[in-house]
Amino acid sequence: MRRMAYWVVLLGLIVRGMAMAEAQVVVSKNFVKKSFAVTGFTGDAAVAGQVTEVLKNDVRLSGYLALAQSSDAEFVQQGSVRADRGGLTIDCSVTEKATKRTVLSQSYPASAQDLRRAAHVISDDIVKAATGQRGIAQTKIAFVWTHGKAKELAVMDYDGYNARQLTYDKSISVHPRWSPDGRRIIYTSFLQTFPDVLEADLYTTKRRRIASFPGLNSGAVFSPDGQSIALTLSKDGNPELYTMNANGGSLQRLTHTAGAESSPTWSPDGQSITYVSDDRGSPQIYQIRREGGEPTRLTVSPAYNTEPDWSRPPSGSNMASMLAVTSRVAGRFEIGIYDSATRAVVPKVADDADNADPSWAPNGRFLVFTKTRRWRSRLYLLDVLTGEQVELPAVEGDASEPAWGPWSGNIK
Amino acid sequence: MMRNRFLSQALCLALIATLGLTGCKNFRWPWQKKPLATTENPGPIGLNTGIPGEQRPIITDANLDHSQFVADIVYFDLDSAKVKPGNVSKIRMVADWMKSNPGKKLVVEGYCDERGTAEYNRALGERRAQAAREELVHMGVDPSRISTSSYGSDRPADPGHDEAAWAKNRRCEFAIVK
Repeated sequence: MRRMAYWVVLLGLIVRGMAMAEAQVVVSKNFVKKSFAVTGFTGDAAVAGQVTEVLKNDVRLSGYLALAQSSDAEFVQQGSVRADRGGLTIDCSVTEKATKRTVLSQSYPASAQDLRRAAHVISDDIVKAATGQRGIAQTKIAFVWTHGKAKELAVMDYDGYNARQLTYDKSISVHPRWSPDGRRIIYTSFLQTFPDVLEADLYTTKRRRIASFPGLNSGAVFSPDGQSIALTLSKDGNPELYTMNANGGSLQRLTHTAGAESSPTWSPDGQSITYVSDDRGSPQIYQIRREGGEPTRLTVSPAYNTEPDWSRPPSGSNMASMLAVTSRVAGRFEIGIYDSATRAVVPKVADDADNADPSWAPNGRFLVFTKTRRWRSRLYLLDVLTGEQVELPAVEGDASEPAWGPWSGNIK
Repeated sequence: MMRNRFLSQALCLALIATLGLTGCKNFRWPWQKKPLATTENPGPIGLNTGIPGEQRPIITDANLDHSQFVADIVYFDLDSAKVKPGNVSKIRMVADWMKSNPGKKLVVEGYCDERGTAEYNRALGERRAQAAREELVHMGVDPSRISTSSYGSDRPADPGHDEAAWAKNRRCEFAIVK
């Protein structure tokens, strides 16, 4: 008995020692997050509490940092909140323990009504200071909100909070896609009974038609430079792929098949379009030059692949550009990444639920997707590097067809 | 050169001033102040693409009468847009009515069950609508009288989540424009 106790204590000490020696938190074999302690803010307790809560969640979701206690952390945050000229000022500093260097020391104007936003601004500065990476805490996600028979567009912060309804049409509004400057969303609207592509300007709140031809007008997506739109039209036969100028005009037909094309996504260099075609039976992923020509088939397995989305990591990033795909395997839907060597889709989210409609974050590392379990749909984030999934807070009703907004839409 | 420097400095100051102001006031994304206009006309019908004749008649839900062909809804197999032999007689009913009522226009609506991805389902629904339309044209109906629409899986006939409900949702409906 005494000998066992001795071994237990010794093991405990060894483990403790190992934990203390490693200030970093290992989450996967190849990726290490830096440990970060959020000690909070002095000053008004209510304000400080709110900001700290959002900040901790941002650090948790950042992908590059892991929350830790001050004693174990590589970086320590401190701060204070003070009243200032009718508003608030939040002071925040971050120190690197090993070098005792202050990597961030900044004052942030804020108001009691927009503490979430202030925390997101601080969080992005923290991620930049501690890791050199650009944070995503200020980005937005557009999505389809289903309640009753209506489907409306909504936008929320990337962390799932602050969801705001965009359309009040009591109709069906689906397939939102952001303009590269984050100012506009194009989408498919049944406001006038038939599926049309409309563009909503989030700042002027005005809407205009992009395409309202006979038949289907849907799947519209902006090119990376924002000058063109790829979309699905069925006006000349079955649904085919077209491009047009973002301002209207210059409609060009790209595909001529007996099957249906749908779901275009632009390649990162904007020179090709990746899309779905069921010309050979079940839907697969194809690619075609933006000027047209012979399409190339990308996927050969599994049998059903749809809803492709190309990531566009910033230049200089350590992320490669990846094609996310929704696959149907044995009746369930999975999110996977296309592997050009095997022409197969490698599953990343495969479980007992239906996982569909991936949309990449601008850092090319996270994506948001729809998980439907027992016929209720929620949005989840996936960290492609670590495989971690995070459920976003539920909205009343269902959330689906998410579209992650760009960096450039943020005011800073 | 000097003018450019002054201009860019003035611009920087203006930007900083704006940022400072927006930072201090209650911050709202512009669209959060009011919702998108709901009754606003999104613009003239038909996008000017330089292609003449691309017009679609103004039709609203109120204009569409589904009651005439409620018994003639065409059903499809999973993932398929093929009109099954058993459904041909229903389409013939619609064709006969259309030929007897020469002034009327028709809308064919295609739908899917919930077991596909949203956007691909819109294309599949459209293929179903077009398949039914092709049959009607085969049977002698003038194609210019028939429009198609697709809701994908966004408007199920049966909200259930089993084989029986799904079979009812993979369909084409016919509606007369009043």
